[in-house]
Amino acid sequence: MMRGATCSHQPTPTETHEYLKWLSAAAASHFTAASGLLHMSVFSQSFSPCGRFLAAGNNYGEIALFSLAAALSPDATTANQKPVLTFTAHEGPVFSLLSTDSVLLSAGNGEVSAWNWTELIKKNVKPLWTKRPNYKSSLEIPEINSMAINPRDDSLAIGAGDNNVHILDLEHGAFKVTLRGHTDYVHCVCVREREAELLSGSEDGAVRMWDCRTGQSVHCIEVHKYESCARPQHGKWISCLTTDSDWMLCGGGPSLSLWHLRSLSPTSVFPLSGCQRRAAFHQDMILAVGDGAFVSHCLLGGEVKGQIPCTPPSLNTLQLNTKSSEHRVLTVGGGSSKIDVFTNLSYRAFSLSF
Amino acid sequence: MGAVTDDEVIRKRLLIDGDGAGDDRRINLLLKSFTKWCNSPGSPEEGFTQYQRMLGTLAQCEFSMGKTLMVYDMNLREMENYEKIYSNIEQNITSAHDKIAECKKEIQRAKRIRKNRQEYDALAKIIQQHPDRHETLKQLEALDKELQHLSHIKENVDAKLELRKKQFHVLLTTIQELQQTLENDEKSDNDDQSQESPAQNGE
Repeated sequence: MMRGATCSHQPTPTETHEYLKWLSAAAASHFTAASGLLHMSVFSQSFSPCGRFLAAGNNYGEIALFSLAAALSPDATTANQKPVLTFTAHEGPVFSLLSTDSVLLSAGNGEVSAWNWTELIKKNVKPLWTKRPNYKSSLEIPEINSMAINPRDDSLAIGAGDNNVHILDLEHGAFKVTLRGHTDYVHCVCVREREAELLSGSEDGAVRMWDCRTGQSVHCIEVHKYESCARPQHGKWISCLTTDSDWMLCGGGPSLSLWHLRSLSPTSVFPLSGCQRRAAFHQDMILAVGDGAFVSHCLLGGEVKGQIPCTPPSLNTLQLNTKSSEHRVLTVGGGSSKIDVFTNLSYRAFSLSF
Repeated sequence: MGAVTDDEVIRKRLLIDGDGAGDDRRINLLLKSFTKWCNSPGSPEEGFTQYQRMLGTLAQCEFSMGKTLMVYDMNLREMENYEKIYSNIEQNITSAHDKIAECKKEIQRAKRIRKNRQEYDALAKIIQQHPDRHETLKQLEALDKELQHLSHIKENVDAKLELRKKQFHVLLTTIQELQQTLENDEKSDNDDQSQESPAQNGE
């Protein structure tokens, strides 16, 4: 090639081809990056034990760590609303995240991994351990939908897609018991602390109460059989379960309803359209999220006090930061890459984005 | 006066406003007129008028000095006043902070009470749906009584049935025995007759 003749250099067919390939690859990666964000859903959240960080899991198997202290400080910029660390934790969606005093537990692709919080804050993404409950069927890997910790005997209850609840002893690292009884996959588990019982809600419409010591099903409530709660047009599945030891909130296909556990009877039914995916007791109110781009505030009597709008079109997870006194926020995430943060429950303050 | 530099003098003159500059000038003028008066060869009337004029200027100087002293006093007192107000406001701020903290605690308590009340209401709603305990007890008692009455009747009927059975049994057995006895009698009669006839035939 002659020097100084670049302007008159005719590109050969191979060069053009290479260039076009590079161009299309670049465009594709940019497009997938953009559409990746577009199709992202946040399925789970968990606050760190110090209350200064939020971990969120999405449908691509990634976990992002956000610094709340930075995002809530008076001189926060948009850069503070981005994660300080993002890593791929599992091959499948991270449906459940849970924090103990020092460890972050994440569930995805049918396995549970544990990450040390201090290591994560130092951006060291090596899991402490990864365990898989022994599923009977080896055809497909059941997903883990929900986890709950029983502080009494330091055990982790795992609600899985193989219709069982597996109990893992966190001290010894071995699976203790498998609670069998549901006829369809388990959506949600929660612990009833005072009575040492476990509650699980499943796709088959039943909420089962298990005794933690014997591993037997103590009660079984078929919510869809109660006329006041049932909504046959939505189905009978239970996707949302939370308990206060005396009271229980459950919803999903049937309407969100408040149950008195001693008498096993529904006391109030909340007139919320759409299926609720998470609910929580907060002071004298009930917060519920699900279908619909809002957080519903309800009173125990059954009336809906208000619905606060938020950015994702539907919400999958709701978390209150009770561990920190200065970063007391409510965060919700759902069918978008944005996580809304509420400093005052009445309005959305800002959004963190993946 | 000679030891002070020009700049400082200018600065001082600029800092001190209005009256101060006039006072300085006045004092200078007074000194000049005093020296002139001391050395003046003029008439006693002129000297006297000069003297009066000097006294007037002196009085003016004294007056202005008195005013400045009063202003200084006033400033000191204002400062004290402001200090007092400042500490007062600080106290108010701290007490407001305390009140806010207390009110927050009150709110938490009130929210808990409200939650409890709502729970009671919810439970009460369910309880209302169930029937009254007294009524149910009364119903139970009435049913009990009926049950007892009926079982009593049943016992009576059973006893009667037994008695009748026994009586019929007795009657039937008596009839059977009588029948047997009659049959036996007939048989023995027949036997007697047949015994007699062969005896007659044998004769």
